Amino acid sequence: MPKPVLCWTPAPGLEGLEPLALARAVGLELDQGGALEAAVVTVPEALAPDRLRARLLGRPVQWLDLAAELGGGGDGHRHKRAAAALSRAAGRASLGTLPAVYAPQPNQRVLVAGQGLSALAAARQAALLGHPVLLALRGDDPAAAGAGEDTSQVAELAAGLPEGIELAPPTELTNLTGAGGSFSAWLKGPQGALRQRFGAVVLAPGGAWEMEPAPAGLAPDLARPLSACDPASLATAQGWRQVAILAGVGQPATAQGFARALTTALALQDRPGVQVTLLFREALVATPEGERLYRQARQAGVLMARLADGEPRVADDGRTLAWQDQVLAEDLELAPDALFLAEEITAPWPGFLQNNLLWPPLARLLPEHARLDGGRTARAGFYVLGALRGTPAGDDRLAEAAGAVHDLHDLLGGGATPLPAVRHLTCARCLTCVRVCPHGVPEHLEDHIQPAPAACLACGICAAECPAHAIAPPGWSTAELVEGLARGLKAAPSPAMVLMACGQSAMPAFAQLSRQGHVWPAGLLALPLNCAGRVGLELILRVLSLGAEGVLVAGCHDGMCRSITGNLRARLAVGQAAQTLKDLGLRPEAVSFLHMANNQPQALAKAVEAMYARLGAPE
Amino acid sequence: MGGCLEEIIFLSALDTPVLIIGGGVAGLAAALELDRRGLPSLLVEKGPRLGGQARGFCCKALEACARCGACRVGDLLQQAAQRPALGALTQALAVNAQRQGAGWEVTLIPQESRQPDTPALALERPLRERLLARTGAVILAVGHQVFEARKKSRLGYGRVPGVMTAGELEEALAKGGLPGQARRLAFIQCVGSRDQALGRLYCSRVCCGFALRLARLARHLEPASQVTFFHMDVQDYGQAWRADLSEMRADLRFIRAIPGEVRPGVGGPLAVFAGPDGQPQEEEFDLVVLATGLEPPVAAPALCEMFGLAPGPHGFLAGGGGVLVAGTAGGPRSITESIEHAAQAAAQAAEYLLAAPASPAGEVAHA
Repeated sequence: MPKPVLCWTPAPGLEGLEPLALARAVGLELDQGGALEAAVVTVPEALAPDRLRARLLGRPVQWLDLAAELGGGGDGHRHKRAAAALSRAAGRASLGTLPAVYAPQPNQRVLVAGQGLSALAAARQAALLGHPVLLALRGDDPAAAGAGEDTSQVAELAAGLPEGIELAPPTELTNLTGAGGSFSAWLKGPQGALRQRFGAVVLAPGGAWEMEPAPAGLAPDLARPLSACDPASLATAQGWRQVAILAGVGQPATAQGFARALTTALALQDRPGVQVTLLFREALVATPEGERLYRQARQAGVLMARLADGEPRVADDGRTLAWQDQVLAEDLELAPDALFLAEEITAPWPGFLQNNLLWPPLARLLPEHARLDGGRTARAGFYVLGALRGTPAGDDRLAEAAGAVHDLHDLLGGGATPLPAVRHLTCARCLTCVRVCPHGVPEHLEDHIQPAPAACLACGICAAECPAHAIAPPGWSTAELVEGLARGLKAAPSPAMVLMACGQSAMPAFAQLSRQGHVWPAGLLALPLNCAGRVGLELILRVLSLGAEGVLVAGCHDGMCRSITGNLRARLAVGQAAQTLKDLGLRPEAVSFLHMANNQPQALAKAVEAMYARLGAPE
Repeated sequence: MGGCLEEIIFLSALDTPVLIIGGGVAGLAAALELDRRGLPSLLVEKGPRLGGQARGFCCKALEACARCGACRVGDLLQQAAQRPALGALTQALAVNAQRQGAGWEVTLIPQESRQPDTPALALERPLRERLLARTGAVILAVGHQVFEARKKSRLGYGRVPGVMTAGELEEALAKGGLPGQARRLAFIQCVGSRDQALGRLYCSRVCCGFALRLARLARHLEPASQVTFFHMDVQDYGQAWRADLSEMRADLRFIRAIPGEVRPGVGGPLAVFAGPDGQPQEEEFDLVVLATGLEPPVAAPALCEMFGLAPGPHGFLAGGGGVLVAGTAGGPRSITESIEHAAQAAAQAAEYLLAAPASPAGEVAHA
C-alpha cells in the first residue's frame, strides 16, 4: 500500500489553517519536497504548480479542491471540516489507483454520412483538423443541396473541399455499432456492403420538404404543396383571383416554413388581380428577416387570418373555408381558386437506430437536452446534424457542424476521457454495463467487455450497477470511495452526514457557497462525484453502515443529466435505500434526494439544513 | 495559459492567435471551442467576472428541466477551469485596434470596477496595466443590450409601481422568490421587439421562451396566483417546447393582445388592452412583467469603427477581415444557440488563420 503525503499548496480560502497540525490530525506526513509514493494535494490539478505536477507523475494522487469543500465559520470549525475532507482524500489515495489497462488508441477516421450543408461543413472542418474523412453521400453529386438550403452556398462548399476527404460512391449507412473512438459501420454501395472502422460518425441527411396535413373535409384536388406553386408562371396562366396559403394549421410550423410561406404569398400577391390570404395560428417570425417579411406581406395586401383551434372549418363542398376574425370578431368565408399547404423539412431516421438492442430509443439517444448542443447525442462520438435535428437551413447548420467537429476532435485527441477499467478476472459477462451505460461505452467482444477508447464521460453508472465489482475506474471505484468515506467519517465531528454531490450541478453550487463563506455543519462531508449516477444502493448503505447519520444525494433536474439517466438512477437508489431502512425498522428519512441545477445554490443549502434539522441538530 | 497569465500581466505586449472580446456565454464558448481545436486564445472581459448577463439568470425547472440553458454558464465556467490552457483577463477594455498584416493589434486598458460579491475563479486574472495584444483573428462576443423599458413610457415602467422587467423578475427568482404578494401576474411580450414605431423590425426570438418559462415558474412557486400572458404570437422552439406549451396554455391565461397602456390602479398596475370583442378592456394586476427585447450591444458602433466593419442586420455586429462575431452580438439568440454560434466563430477564426499569410500571431497558430 502506498503511503500518501500531504502536499499543501496555499490557495485563496485556505488562510488561517495550519498545515502541520492538520497533517498530524489526519495521520499524514507533510510533503517536504522529497520522494513520495502517493499524495493528497489541497488544490485541483489545474492549479497545482508545474514542479509539483512533475513530481507526482505516475503516482496515485487525490486532487482535492479543499477551499471548495470548507466553507466559512471560525478557524476551529474550518479546521474540523478540513480534517474530515483530508482524511477522506487520504483514504482514497492510500488504496492507490489500479494500473492502467491496455486500451486501443481511438480510431481517427471520421464518417460523414449525408448530403448538403451540414455534411459538407462537418467533412470540411474534420479534414482541416487532420482527420481522414469518408464522405458517404446518398447520390453522386457532392454539390446536391438539402431542402431549403442555398444552392450556391452548398456548391461553393462542395467545390472547395480540402484534402483528406475521401468521396465514397453513392452509399447507404445500413448499420452502426460502437462508440467514440471505435465505431463499426456497414456501408452499402455499388460494390456491396462493406464494414469499416471509424472513430466518430456524423449523420447529416439533406432533408426534404413535406406538406403539412390538409384540414379535414378539404377537396383533395384543391390541396397542393407550396413547392408546387411557381408564382411566376402559375397564377396568371390559370386566372386565379383568390389564393389561400395555409401555414402551420394542420401541424405546428417552424419559423423557416413560415418564412417560405410568406415569400410565396408576397410573390403571388404581386401578380395582377391576385388576392392572397395567409391562414395561420401563430406568425412565426423569429428569424432575422421574419418580421420584416411579415410586415412587407401585410403592406403588400396579403390578408392575414389568425385561426383558433378547429379552424378553418371546411364547408360541405370541400372548397369553402370559414373562420372567425379575431380583431373584427366576425365570421369570414373564403372559397379560393387555389390553395397551397406550407411544408416543413423532414428527414428519415436510418433503420439501424430502430435496433433497440444496440441503440437506445431515440428519446434517450437524442433527447431535447440543454447540454446536447452541436449535434451531440447521448452516445459520445455520434452526431446528428441538420434536417434530422430540425436545425434551420443556413448558417445555423454550419455552426452546429463546427460544434460537432470540435467535440469529436477533442474526444479522439484524448480530451479528458478516463477509461473504465474492467477487471476481466472478476467480470461475469452479465452485460449489465452494456445495458446501463448511457454512452454506449462497453462493448461485448467475443469473450470480454471492451470499453470504447474515446466515449467515456466517467459518470460511473456502470461502476454503481456492476454486480461483480468488476468495473473499478481509477479514483472512483467503490473500494476507494468507501475507504475514503470511512476515514473521513471517523475524522468528522458528530453528527456526521454525507452529501453525495453531482459534479454538474450540486458540487459547483456547493463550491460556490463555500467560497462565499457559507458555514456548513462541521460534520458534513462532501463527496464530489462526476455524476449522481455513480451513487447506487450499495454505496448509500455502506456509508450509513460506516456511521453516517444521514445521506443527501444531489443531482441534476430531470432531463438535464449529462448522462441522461444518472440522476434518475440515483433517485431510484435513494428510494430503495429508504425502503431498506424502513424494512429494518430504521429511519427512512436518513436518506434523501435533491434535484437541482448548478445555479441553485440556495436549494442545496436549504436541503442540507433540512437534513440536519431532521436528523439531529449540528453541534 | 492559467499559469503564464500571471507573467504576461507585467508585459506590455503579447501574441495570441485569437483574441476574444467579451467573457459571457459566447466568449467562454468560443474559447472552449478553440481549445477543443487545439488553438490557444486570449479571452478579455471588461467587467470583473466571467459569465456575462446569463450568469444572473435563474433555473426555470419545475420538477423537470425546462431547457432554458441558464445553467450552461456554470457548465462553461467549470469546463474552462478544467482546461489548463485557458485563461482570461478581466477588467480589460479594448480601446483601439490597428490592422497589422492579416491580423490585428488591439490595445487593452485596465478598467476600474467595484468589488464583485463573488470570489474570483482561478482563471480570472485582472488586467493591471495597458497591454498590446497582437493577434491573428478577433472574435467579438460582446453580447447584447436589453431594451430600456422606460422608452415605452406608456407601459409604465419606472412610473407605475408594480411594473418590472422580465430581467428583474429573473433576478428576484434567482435569489429565491417572487417579489411581494403577487397573486395576479401579467406578462407583456414584445416590449421593444416587432415594433415599427421604434424602428425595431425584428423578433427578439428568445422572449416567448423565457417569459413563459418564468410565468410557469411563478405560478409553481405561488400556486394560488393567476398568470395572464399578453402576446402577439408564440414563437416555436421545437418538439419538447410544443408539449410544454400545450400544458402552459391549459394553466396560464393567454390573451392575444398587447396592452396599449399600464397605469396605476387602486390595488396595483392597471392594464388597458383590446378585449375579445375588439373593445378596450381594463384589468388590475399585482405585478406586470415586461418581456423586454434584445438590442445590439452598446459598443457596436465603436467596435465597427475600431475594426472597420460595416454594420450588420438591425444594428447588430457582422464580421469581416479576420473579425468574427459570436453570440447575441450578432443578433438575438438563446444561450444554447449562442454556444453553437461560438463554435462557428471559432471554426472561422481557425480557417482565417490557416489562409492568412504568415504573421507572428499566425505562426503561433500553426505551431
